[in-house]
Amino acid sequence: MADVTWQNTDESLVLEKPRRNRLMFAVGGAVLIAAVVFLVVNAMSGSTQLYKTVGEFYAEQSRLTGRDLRVAGWVIGDSIVYTQIDAHNSRLEFDIVDDLNNPTQKLHVVALNEPKPDLLQNEAQALVEGKADASGVFHSNPGGLMLKCPTRYEEMDPAGHPAGVPTL
Amino acid sequence: MIADIGSITLVIAFLVAIYAVVAAIVGARRGDDRWVRSARNAIIIVFPLVVLACGLVITGLVTGDFSIAYVSQVSSRGMPTYLKVTALWGGQAGSLLFWNLLLSAFTAAAMLSKWRQQKELMPYVIIVLGLVQVFFLLVSSFVESPFVRNDIIPADGNGLNPLLRHPGMIIHPPMLYLGFVGLTIPYAFAMAALMSNQKSDNWIKTSRRWTLVAWLFLGLGLILGGRWAYDVLGWGGYWGWDPVENASLMPWLAATAFLHSVMIQEKMRMFKMWNMFLIVLTFLLVIAGTFIVRSGVISSVHSFAQSAIGPFFFGFMAIMFIFSLVLITLRRDILRTENQIVSYLSREAAFLYNNFLIMAILAVVFLFTYYPIFSELFTGEKGFVGPPVYERALAPLFAALVLLMGVAPLTMWYRTSIQRLGRASLWPAVGALVFVGVLFALGVRLWPALLGFWLVSFSVVLTVMEFVKGTRARMGKGENVWTAFTTLMARNRRRYGGYWIHMGVLIMAFGIVADGLYQTETQIRLNAGEGVQLGDFEMVFNSVSRFTGADDLLDHRGRR
Repeated sequence: MADVTWQNTDESLVLEKPRRNRLMFAVGGAVLIAAVVFLVVNAMSGSTQLYKTVGEFYAEQSRLTGRDLRVAGWVIGDSIVYTQIDAHNSRLEFDIVDDLNNPTQKLHVVALNEPKPDLLQNEAQALVEGKADASGVFHSNPGGLMLKCPTRYEEMDPAGHPAGVPTL
Repeated sequence: MIADIGSITLVIAFLVAIYAVVAAIVGARRGDDRWVRSARNAIIIVFPLVVLACGLVITGLVTGDFSIAYVSQVSSRGMPTYLKVTALWGGQAGSLLFWNLLLSAFTAAAMLSKWRQQKELMPYVIIVLGLVQVFFLLVSSFVESPFVRNDIIPADGNGLNPLLRHPGMIIHPPMLYLGFVGLTIPYAFAMAALMSNQKSDNWIKTSRRWTLVAWLFLGLGLILGGRWAYDVLGWGGYWGWDPVENASLMPWLAATAFLHSVMIQEKMRMFKMWNMFLIVLTFLLVIAGTFIVRSGVISSVHSFAQSAIGPFFFGFMAIMFIFSLVLITLRRDILRTENQIVSYLSREAAFLYNNFLIMAILAVVFLFTYYPIFSELFTGEKGFVGPPVYERALAPLFAALVLLMGVAPLTMWYRTSIQRLGRASLWPAVGALVFVGVLFALGVRLWPALLGFWLVSFSVVLTVMEFVKGTRARMGKGENVWTAFTTLMARNRRRYGGYWIHMGVLIMAFGIVADGLYQTETQIRLNAGEGVQLGDFEMVFNSVSRFTGADDLLDHRGRR
């Protein structure tokens, strides 16, 4: 198998005419592409999350209740409550809003058994993955709480768009 | 002072690059060698100019000249010197200047090597590389300049983003950038071949060589990034399918596909159009990757602050896309294939399957990465796809790729019989089965893990067999083991180099299967002195210490 595989002494193989090769590879290719499409659809079904702002969530609350969401907003410092229930259980609660200067709609976020992140402070940008229950409380998935530090490293208008949300 | 000299230097570099493009166009049209040589000298001079600009930024960073806005954004007095220097690529404006530095260095290197052999291509290579350089210098000089002044000079800077204060900062970003920027060179040679209407495949040798260099750096950058993420980011792992990670994985995949399929073009004179497409795709993915990090279009842990450069990059990408497309269409005659694939079971068909799998993986990653944009376009709602979705969709494709990695080297050009493939792979398959049996006896019970380990070990055995068979064939001619082994590799570096890379990938695959299926994770609150049992390990939390002072590499007692 060393150098010999690179030579082919049987000339007839080289001169052989390609018979219906295009069709053969077209059919084979179509089957393979269909398989990949199936893999993608199968992987995605029921597993995609929706990006929402607090306002967008309240606009369609009934439809979005129970769906896997990523909600972004600004943290209201006074609302942060951390309760140690027992040795291994804790409850972290806080409110997020779309606009700190005009906090009309607040989304109440509850995260169970999450350590309280250092970055969770007033005016921090939070991105929370989880689901809202019927009473409008938003339950964070395990590890679904992400924070960006407010003003220290990136100069941005706190009233502006949270950096966790794409602006297109 | 530094800011003024820096700004002027960048503007001069920008003008020189424009001159290089114009001179190269004139030289190509008139066939006048003097213009071409002048263009070459101009494009080479861009390099020392950008070196000077980078040197000025580093001087500002190290001396703490906070009158420069960039310096006050990314450095502070307390930072150790090594971090101050690396802050050159720690922020938006600086990292764009770093792009310029590497591009001008690669360009100068491409100009100084093989000038004679590729003489007909060179004016066009200068045009393409010059245009890319002009674009990046335009952004660095006028849109995101690292030399903008602060109105009020702060007493101290903000300092580098804490996540970036890590020794990995010295090596990971430069490796990635080397890979990214390096992939511009093969693109330039490919476009030059089309522009000069060359029928010869000479350009492909140059493009392949440069792709190999850039691909190596990009691969190293990806691996180092995973190592860094393991230390710094709270993902609990080395890879999180973050948009920015994907942005560097995608050009690497496209370049990998090219490095394989280029062999079919060299051996069989097929796939010319396809290779051209892969080179263009790789380059566009590089630009898209640079753009996605900086635009805020897709949110990511890596995102720089949003800035005005989004539309510039988008415009540039659109222009390069249309330019490449038009060129390929105009020159489709020289890209005609000269052969056809005869059999499903042949070396060239194996390369075709390889390309199919890599492109499928690339397409899936692309779809999921840009899913927020696609879903908003089509449903009006911004969707998001998490890592488990990537893993479900990609695992079978990666498994097929691992299998192919082992089996493909058994095939021969034109046609291989199924009996031959069966004979060659029977014992390795049995050997891998024995290995999996041992794992089973040792307690591995998850069937996806057993399947994964079988596939990987099967391909490992087949790859090792390639070395063994080659060495034995040479030993038959009277060489001793060592001479036979080394001569084998020296005589066919491309082939055996490829197998070494396959071995590396297979070792990684082994780890990925084990890590993916046997990872244990927990979140728990511990008081000092308490411990937790996790898998076979017990972790005890001893104490928390707090240190004040400059951030630097400290040991667990706070000593430098």
